[in-house]
Amino acid sequence: MSIAAETKSQVAELGEKYKYGFVTDIEMERAPKGLSEDTVRYISAKKGEPEWMLEWRLGAFRRWQAMTEPKWARVHYPKIDYQAAYYYAAPKNTPLKQSLDEVDPKLLETYKKLGIPLQEQMALAGVAVDAVFDSVSVATTFKEKLNEAGVIFCPISEAIRDYPELVKQYLGTVVPVTDNFFATLNAAVFSDGTFVYVPKGVRCPMELSTYFRINASETGQFERTLIIADEGSYVSYLEGCTAPKRDENQLHAAVVELVALDNAEIKYSTVQNWYPGDENGLGGIFNFVTKRGDCRGKKSKISWTQVETGSAITWKYPSCILRGDESVGEFYSIAIANHHQQADTGTKMIHLGANTRSRIISKGISAGKAQNTYRGLVSVYGKAQNARNYTQCDSLLIGGDCGAHTVPYIESRNKSARIEHEATTSKIAEDQLFYCLARGIPQDEAVSLIVNGFCREVLQQLPMEFAVEAQKLVGISLEGSVG
Amino acid sequence: MLEIKNLHVAVGGKEILKGLSLSIRAGEVHAIMGPNGSGKSTLSYVLAGRAGYDITQGSILYNGENLAALSPEVRAAKGVFLAMQYPVEIPGVTTMTFLKTALNSQRRARGESDIDAVGVLKLVRAKAKTLNVSEEMLKRALNVGFSGGEKKRLEILQMAIFEPKLAILDETDSGLDIDALKLVAEGVNTLRDPARAMLVITHYQRLLDYIVPDRIHVLANGRIVAEGGKELALELEAKGYEHIVKEPA
Amino acid sequence: MAALVLGLPEARRNEAAAVFRARGVPHRRIEEWKYSDLKSALGEAGVGAVVAQWLVGNLPCGVEVFDLAQNNPPAEIPDWVRENFATATHNAMSSASLALSSGGVAFRVPKGAQITDLLKVDFTGPGHVRGLLVLEDGASLTLVEGVGIADFRNVGFEIVLGEGASLDHVRISPDGGEAVLVEEAAVHVAARAIYRAHFAGFGSKLSRMELEIALEGEGAQAHLSGVSVLDGKRHSDVTTHVIHRVGNTNSTQLFKHVAGGGSRAVYQGKVTVAKGANGSDSNQSAKALLLGDGAEADLKPELEIFADDVKCAHGAAVGDLDAESLFYLRARGIPETEARGLLLHAFLEDAVAEISNIDQRELVRTELLTALRAMA
Repeated sequence: MSIAAETKSQVAELGEKYKYGFVTDIEMERAPKGLSEDTVRYISAKKGEPEWMLEWRLGAFRRWQAMTEPKWARVHYPKIDYQAAYYYAAPKNTPLKQSLDEVDPKLLETYKKLGIPLQEQMALAGVAVDAVFDSVSVATTFKEKLNEAGVIFCPISEAIRDYPELVKQYLGTVVPVTDNFFATLNAAVFSDGTFVYVPKGVRCPMELSTYFRINASETGQFERTLIIADEGSYVSYLEGCTAPKRDENQLHAAVVELVALDNAEIKYSTVQNWYPGDENGLGGIFNFVTKRGDCRGKKSKISWTQVETGSAITWKYPSCILRGDESVGEFYSIAIANHHQQADTGTKMIHLGANTRSRIISKGISAGKAQNTYRGLVSVYGKAQNARNYTQCDSLLIGGDCGAHTVPYIESRNKSARIEHEATTSKIAEDQLFYCLARGIPQDEAVSLIVNGFCREVLQQLPMEFAVEAQKLVGISLEGSVG
Repeated sequence: MLEIKNLHVAVGGKEILKGLSLSIRAGEVHAIMGPNGSGKSTLSYVLAGRAGYDITQGSILYNGENLAALSPEVRAAKGVFLAMQYPVEIPGVTTMTFLKTALNSQRRARGESDIDAVGVLKLVRAKAKTLNVSEEMLKRALNVGFSGGEKKRLEILQMAIFEPKLAILDETDSGLDIDALKLVAEGVNTLRDPARAMLVITHYQRLLDYIVPDRIHVLANGRIVAEGGKELALELEAKGYEHIVKEPA
Repeated sequence: MAALVLGLPEARRNEAAAVFRARGVPHRRIEEWKYSDLKSALGEAGVGAVVAQWLVGNLPCGVEVFDLAQNNPPAEIPDWVRENFATATHNAMSSASLALSSGGVAFRVPKGAQITDLLKVDFTGPGHVRGLLVLEDGASLTLVEGVGIADFRNVGFEIVLGEGASLDHVRISPDGGEAVLVEEAAVHVAARAIYRAHFAGFGSKLSRMELEIALEGEGAQAHLSGVSVLDGKRHSDVTTHVIHRVGNTNSTQLFKHVAGGGSRAVYQGKVTVAKGANGSDSNQSAKALLLGDGAEADLKPELEIFADDVKCAHGAAVGDLDAESLFYLRARGIPETEARGLLLHAFLEDAVAEISNIDQRELVRTELLTALRAMA
């Protein structure tokens, strides 16, 4: 039977099942609560996926059922009931507002503080975008440029249908299905995500981020992203935005796989401002992400830059596998934890090839009653001649009720490798603050100034447009933290 | 004593010396001047035998022997001494220990007997005085916490102790004020000897007012592009390198 | 009245046994023992229940000794032992020694006594054994701990320093071949007391020295240093946990490792600064040089900070000898092998320089030289 026919008959079967407990209308927006093989089939059917994709998902699901949730991170969260969640929801069709007047003024204030342009404010707030500016034409020009360059940039569900060979070749090769509990879950039920393929020798003509900004709708719970940079290519991708992300979905378990071939470079930036719930930490988001980059080719390079704040619980370790000779991995991170937030983040740099290099700059800021942990692994394998690593982890503590923790693992099995790690802990000095105040700079702004100075090295890594917003975000996240 | 013929040297795959020829006889003092990036340090490192400096063509004969075939320590024992531009700091190794070990290693390689600790101390003290190297410096770890001037003085002290046949001074004047310079130059001049040859590498003419050379070679783009007597230094000072360096490699 | 094993009430022994049973012999899936798989090294023999021995060199005048194996009626156990011995622990191996040993030794240096002679204590033979050292307020002592070679030994040591007391602790662990040697020391440092310790190790099949040091009063200090020179298939693991319970306390750590052949050098140094412990100052440095193709270094300097007005820094580095320095020495006539030796020695020197006692320092230097020469 052809794939298309097979899918059709599966969907018909599902229709049959519906009379036994599922809702009758196939156009229903959500899969019923709970997670079972049927849920997986439902999702696959909804996405119109070919057979091989469904099998892949089912394989993952069966493995997941046999796994236990990891407990080793320093984060503490109430037990997640996997059966109480919805695993699939169609894009929301919330009625659009007609103007900014209908938007929560507090939200608008935040947008203003972040310096988000008016038009984008409207888009973010759910004001009817068409009524505001010509989103269609913007999207068209964007797509034209990419097409000219030969760059493929589309939702992953589209890629599964339109570029199956590419997807089959790379999906799950960087983060194997059984890599960890959340990755396995993701493999079974992922519903959204991005696929990027940059052909040989092409330098992607624009930041693959602009598009997201304009279309920043809800993030899927289980996003799956796959970016492939073919030989000699370059791509810069930005995920997220500085505007606060309100989301009812409590659990987010995304998987991001990056593959860089010979002489290719991928720059992946994340700026995320998860709404942390209220000041008591209720209603926040649990963010468990597996991000990994495979520097497969010679002289390939992958760099991760992240500015994260707000999530109630974050668990993510963007990593690089430095497989190709002379490959380079970088990790730049600012993690801000305030109020009752808990962040446990870091990176893994695995040196396999010869003459590989890695660089880690991590800035953690803790305030309120938050706990911020950096967990890193630099591992040099036996054949990794002349591997080089430099790590700098700095923690800034604001107030006496928070915590900052650094847990670096340094493992070297090659005598020509050089690994250097430094970590410091400090606070905002009284005299630094006083100096600013004495020069007329108000308290919160002074804090922002000083903290941005502390984070400068990481902020410099962000695509320009976001560096400015990120700076403002840093300031806002720490409002009221001093004094 | 030193005969360099058509020397081509590559560093990290890139060719720096592109056919350098030079010869120095015992008792002579030659100066090599050149703009930054001309290959001056490369020349001194390749003469001392540092790894990473590959001779792709040409030869270096030292008293008729192929110098390139010898390891750094063997060259030192045979009387080659490089006073480095940036002497390395070695924490945990006292200057005195270092001097004793090096001196005796060289003596052993030459089939001479060791000098005992007391003997070395006497020898070092005597020479240290003239160069203003204090007892305290000798007790400290090698070059750790030494000022630029102190480091250079120690290099010359070593030259006085090891009594080399071929002394190469790599930008010995860099980072020194006039007084320090004079002291170092005096030290070097005291070591002039009919059996000893010196190669003074410098960017500025100033040093050559104090260590007057017999011959000056101008190195540019990896080759000797001009030669002359000591007046050449003054000419360079007045007109700059562009005047003499006519065209790129 | 019934005799007590190790001077402890049965309930306490049972408690320890229960902890050990619950935790089991540590293995590599336990985070803190990731690089030292004790279970695998012990194999089927397990921890056994033999009692190891202890020997004291000439007991310095002014130091009181008490044999923990004496079958004492409770009334005869000195107060200072009762108050300080067998404090609660959640560690598997410390619990094992409490539960399985019936032998051990306790020492006390009375208030204000400044003992100039060295206290030499050797732990020898296979099995489990306990030690206790109490320095009362203002007392000072230098402890030289010897490590005998045996198939398997598990030492549980408790050290209590009163206010203003000062202890210099030197432990030299010789090349132990196929020995599996574990020691866990719990150190309590009161206000203004100073604990200085140096651990020189040459490895064995599995060698683990674990210290938990609690700085409990203002002005308390801990200064740890250590060197290890490993060859062949030797393993050496120094795991420390310094807890700044109150503010205005100070700790430093300096560890240097040279791993040749197919050996494994491990250093795990955790520093915890408790909430409110403002004014705490902590500095840690761990460096390893790998000389062998199959050698491995695992360093994990960990910081757990709950107070903001603190100065905490750590650094760790793994590498090879500096090529620049090597060239400098060779260019001055020093043959390569000797130049490497000089640099290796220089590398270890600053950690050795931390030893206060001159004789002990020279002893360690000699041992290091011998080991380095054997490796070349």
